[in-house]
Amino acid sequence: MPSWDGGRGGRRRGEEGDSRGQGGPAAAGAEEFCLVSRVREVRLLRRQTKTSLEVSLLEKYPCSKFIIAIGNNAVAFLSSFVTSSGVWEEVGCAKLWNEWCRTTDTAHLSPTEAFCVFYHLKSNPSVLLCQCSCYVAEDQQYQWLEKVFGSCPRKNLQITVLTCRHVTDYKTSESTSSLHPPFLKALKTQNFKEPPCCSLLEQPNIVHDLPAAVLSYCQVWKIPAILYLCYTDVMKLDLITVEAFKPVLSSRSLKGLVKNIPQSTEVLKKLVTTNEIQSNIYT
Amino acid sequence: MESRYDRAITVFSPDGHLFQVEYAQEAVKKGSTAVGIRGTDIVVLGVEKKSVAKLQDERTVRKICALDDHVCMAFAGLTADARVVINRARVECQSYKLTVEDPVTVEYITRFIATLKQKYTQSNGRRPFGISALIVGFDDDGIPRLYQTDPSGTYHAWKANAIGRSAKTVREFLEKNYTEDAIANDNEAIKLAIRALLEIVQSGGKNIELAIIRRNQPLKMFSAKEIESQVTAIEKEKEETEKKKSKKTA
Repeated sequence: MPSWDGGRGGRRRGEEGDSRGQGGPAAAGAEEFCLVSRVREVRLLRRQTKTSLEVSLLEKYPCSKFIIAIGNNAVAFLSSFVTSSGVWEEVGCAKLWNEWCRTTDTAHLSPTEAFCVFYHLKSNPSVLLCQCSCYVAEDQQYQWLEKVFGSCPRKNLQITVLTCRHVTDYKTSESTSSLHPPFLKALKTQNFKEPPCCSLLEQPNIVHDLPAAVLSYCQVWKIPAILYLCYTDVMKLDLITVEAFKPVLSSRSLKGLVKNIPQSTEVLKKLVTTNEIQSNIYT
Repeated sequence: MESRYDRAITVFSPDGHLFQVEYAQEAVKKGSTAVGIRGTDIVVLGVEKKSVAKLQDERTVRKICALDDHVCMAFAGLTADARVVINRARVECQSYKLTVEDPVTVEYITRFIATLKQKYTQSNGRRPFGISALIVGFDDDGIPRLYQTDPSGTYHAWKANAIGRSAKTVREFLEKNYTEDAIANDNEAIKLAIRALLEIVQSGGKNIELAIIRRNQPLKMFSAKEIESQVTAIEKEKEETEKKKSKKTA
């Protein structure tokens, strides 16, 4: 933990007599800073053993294809089309807490609540998948990248990111009545040479949050990466929004991974209906 | 193109659609299935029970409601909209009885509900009711009736019909299996309703709710035990017909 010098002769933590409320603002600040850093830490664990991974995920599980789904619609897309058509083994999960988290107990995560889960394909361990259904706050994104990618990533790696955004974020000079959400847009790094599965995001092509952090990281380290961004008017789990990701199935990263599309569509419908059963709106 | 005609439902699209009404019909498809069958001396309403949360009181999640002693209905769609429609229909039933000194006919109360629904497709700023209803009962003349209404405010009489999530599958089953033999007696009609629901219900009898009205008798809701015994009887019959078939082929 870095030591904190408040500039007014701050005392060290644990020193007698500096209980909170007494002592200068520096001492109180030091304690709070340490507590806050601990609470907001991103931890990468092997879920079964609950031990932390000592190295970054990609160092422990090197891969050539890394597919990241961020947000509930992207996660549902990968669950029904990719993870249901193959044998995927969980290699780790990332636990973190921030103000957006619904649950305060980070110690006991059920499988449905796990924030960021990482899988690799048993038949081809060089394909890695991440299902991230939580919000990673701005101050946590760097930690997340460090814990997942490490400080010096391998070169022969290709990254595909899938996420959703509300259509009101889409900047266009056309009238909004001409937009028909959901629609897919792509944003790629300089080293990504393949043609994207949909049109590129027009300028001003601004993206936010974890997908932006991943793309920036990849651009800096010259890793070929592409973000498929679905602009939708329904932010909760929605069948039509998830199906808008279908063009991505023809991309090189996902092509070999999807076996049975009609069966996957059934899996998706079940996923969406089980979600709806929880609500009392329809009887 | 569609988004311009979604805003106010009083607006027709250039090709004659009322999109809000059509979207309301989509809302109906989100509710669980309900099936209605008109027998010779009985009317049957069967519904797929909605999964109830652990702490929820099951009795408050009901799809089958009595409108009067001799009329009842099952709905599919938005719960809150159904509650409003049912309350208005119940009040109308009593108001009619006090004014005219006769109980409502099934057709009258269906027409009342349908007219109410149609009003909401023509008013400014209001959205249509997102429910379809199956209304069953006996009139004074002793004839069984089954009507179906939908969010547009239309109503029709049916021999057997289904609404809600897997209505299409159930309707196809009924078209194949609704014969004079199938409704020959009361028990057969009940079995037909249960068989229709078993086509689409995941875990058998415990997810089915059934209600019947017999001539000159009040509404009867089946208990879980009674439904289970019917389901077992149906499964036995199925096994026997399959055995006979395999004997024939062998």
